[in-house]
Amino acid sequence: MKQKSKLRNRRTWFIFFMVLPAVLIPMIFTYYPMVKGSMMAFQSYNLMNVKNIKWIGLDNFKKLFTHSASNSFYTTMLNTVKWVGISLFAQFTIGFGLALLLKKRFHGSGIYQGLIFFPWAVSGFIIGIMWRWMFNGTSGVINDILMKLNLISQPVGWLADKSTALYSCIVANIWYGVPFFTIMITAALRGVSEDLYEAADVDGASKFQKFTSITVPSIRSVLLLTVLLRVIWIFNFPDLIYSMTQGGPAGSSNIITSYMMQLVYSLDYGLASAVGVLCILFLVAFAAIYLSATKYVQEED
Amino acid sequence: MKKRRLAALTMAAVMLTGCGGGGTAETTAAPAAGETKAAAETEAAAAPEASGEAITITMVESLTSPERTAVIREIADKYQADHPNVTIDIISPPLENADAKITQMLMNGSGADIVEVRDSTITQYATNGWIADLGKYIDAWDEKATLTESANEVIYYYQDTAYMVPYGFYQRGLFYRTDWFEEKGLKQPETWQELYDSGVAVTDPANSRYGYSFRGATNGYQYADTIYWSWIGMDKLADPNAAYFLKDGNGATIFTLPEAKEALHFYKDLFKNACPPDSIAWGFSEMVQGFVGGTTSMLIQDPEVIATCSADMQDDQWALVPFPKGPSGQAVFPNGFAGWGMTSFTEHPDETADFLLYLSNSENNTYFAKNYSTIPIHNNAAEKDTYFSEGRFAMYMDMAKEPDVYCHAAYPQMYEAFATYKTEVDTMYQKYLTDEITDDELLTWLDEFWTKAYADEGQKW
Repeated sequence: MKQKSKLRNRRTWFIFFMVLPAVLIPMIFTYYPMVKGSMMAFQSYNLMNVKNIKWIGLDNFKKLFTHSASNSFYTTMLNTVKWVGISLFAQFTIGFGLALLLKKRFHGSGIYQGLIFFPWAVSGFIIGIMWRWMFNGTSGVINDILMKLNLISQPVGWLADKSTALYSCIVANIWYGVPFFTIMITAALRGVSEDLYEAADVDGASKFQKFTSITVPSIRSVLLLTVLLRVIWIFNFPDLIYSMTQGGPAGSSNIITSYMMQLVYSLDYGLASAVGVLCILFLVAFAAIYLSATKYVQEED
Repeated sequence: MKKRRLAALTMAAVMLTGCGGGGTAETTAAPAAGETKAAAETEAAAAPEASGEAITITMVESLTSPERTAVIREIADKYQADHPNVTIDIISPPLENADAKITQMLMNGSGADIVEVRDSTITQYATNGWIADLGKYIDAWDEKATLTESANEVIYYYQDTAYMVPYGFYQRGLFYRTDWFEEKGLKQPETWQELYDSGVAVTDPANSRYGYSFRGATNGYQYADTIYWSWIGMDKLADPNAAYFLKDGNGATIFTLPEAKEALHFYKDLFKNACPPDSIAWGFSEMVQGFVGGTTSMLIQDPEVIATCSADMQDDQWALVPFPKGPSGQAVFPNGFAGWGMTSFTEHPDETADFLLYLSNSENNTYFAKNYSTIPIHNNAAEKDTYFSEGRFAMYMDMAKEPDVYCHAAYPQMYEAFATYKTEVDTMYQKYLTDEITDDELLTWLDEFWTKAYADEGQKW
């Protein structure tokens, strides 16, 4: 009896030590910086003068939500919704479409798949610089093509116009994000058993019925997860905007994260951190609602 | 069961956003951690050597380019040959975030002996006590007699303490297309008004030709400032280094003057009538590309553009001439500077200062300035090298001969509020240029911003 409890005790300790690294490492490298960083949101923390750091309560947040001529935070929030919504919708639709086309292997499909994957392999900043020159109003290739096609008569300053700057960035983002969906969904589609389609053929199902009743439900979990991941990633992808427009002109193409980058460069870490805290709160809320609405976790059970 | 599910859900949510949101914390906290490690390594490497005579001096660059690093390396090698016990390590972080890297190293208090200090960073470094007073070394320096007036001004820029030794100045000049001007029968523009008139004359959107390379994106405000100052004149300014404030104004700013409003209108007209419409989104590279690539006929830029023009254009296609004057009869522009500072935590202050001054002596500084297109800090540079008295660069020497006409002024970078200002101001000008706000709204914002900065921080010049 005594022997047995000793053994159990030792086993508990063993388990404890095995689990310890898994607990400690995220604590030190993810949660500690997150908590420490979040604390700055309630401080006047400016790198211009680190000798003068003090607690200021909610002042940083108040500053973000105060209406004034120089404050574009409301536009920035609206832009973020557009940026995520439009980019995601187009990336998903085009990516899904390409994946359906790629489902059946054909001659050279491997090479084609490799080519499609290319944008995903390029860094955000480089894509930004590439598209910035392509969208350039005076010497950009996009204007040149559109003018030769007689679609426009005068060159358009895509990135210089408040009404087109954000959408130009979204176009670049769509180009960048399509491959991810294509690759993930192609892989999932190839895992769907052909038997199901054959059975459906026997039952006389139409192509559309097969799509909605077999294809989509079979890859549902991949679709849900990729969409969730992409929402978070697109939200956290200021690279493109920062290198294409730096949020301009007049703050019209800033999203929350590119605005946060701007604040970091202004050395006002307190205000930047306040924006960061809002980002985390927003994303946690989104992820929780999304996961419960789609019953993703239950399905895993 | 339900509770567990909820917990799992929240955990999943936190984990997912944690991975993505990590980017936030990463930019602030993670590199700092990485830097500690790197710094610790360099220290560990230096420690055993220090027990002997050997010393390692680590210097960190900000405005890096491979060519420039090679020039500094060359000078450092020469120094090492004379001082066999000294090793000089040059660290060149990528240009885009070099200043952020330097800031992190300085916050850590280790890993660097010499850092590149810029007009935009000196206040931050000095306020935080990160860089040391070089006063006693400069007082004992045998080459201090040949320093130019501008160099002396910069050495004692912040609170009359010698926080840095500049390596050179970046002064802007006017580049223009001589061939286009000849075609239209226009003469070399000497004033802003002439610049505007010839700009309008050249502008022909149908052939995508425009007058002037406007800068509407990052740092565009600097161009608006030079226009204000050349309208207002130096006499009314409190101090050349705090040129937003009025003389004896007790914190009153230039933005309330009628001249400022006139200048602002001129600035907008210039943009609307003589510049490519998309130049509101132009930064440095677009401006230069616009000029060199044949879209615009005029460009105001630093001497480093000379090299680009020489490489991409015929010699008779362009000229570099003095900065345009305003109604005050003066041409006012910033005398941008950068240089070297010694960290306050260096373990070998004497040796570090010795190398820093070696780097800044007239021979090495002239060599550096020639290869990097900056204006040298010693007044015998032209004697040492005819490069500075002949050719394109000679224009700068001509401007220097008329100090009452070609004057230097700068935005009040010694204010802590300047960092915030810098990130907000370009957006405000863009709002004005696109008619989202009026001239009065912009000027009021500028006035209130700096009146408040003065009230918070006092007189700092």
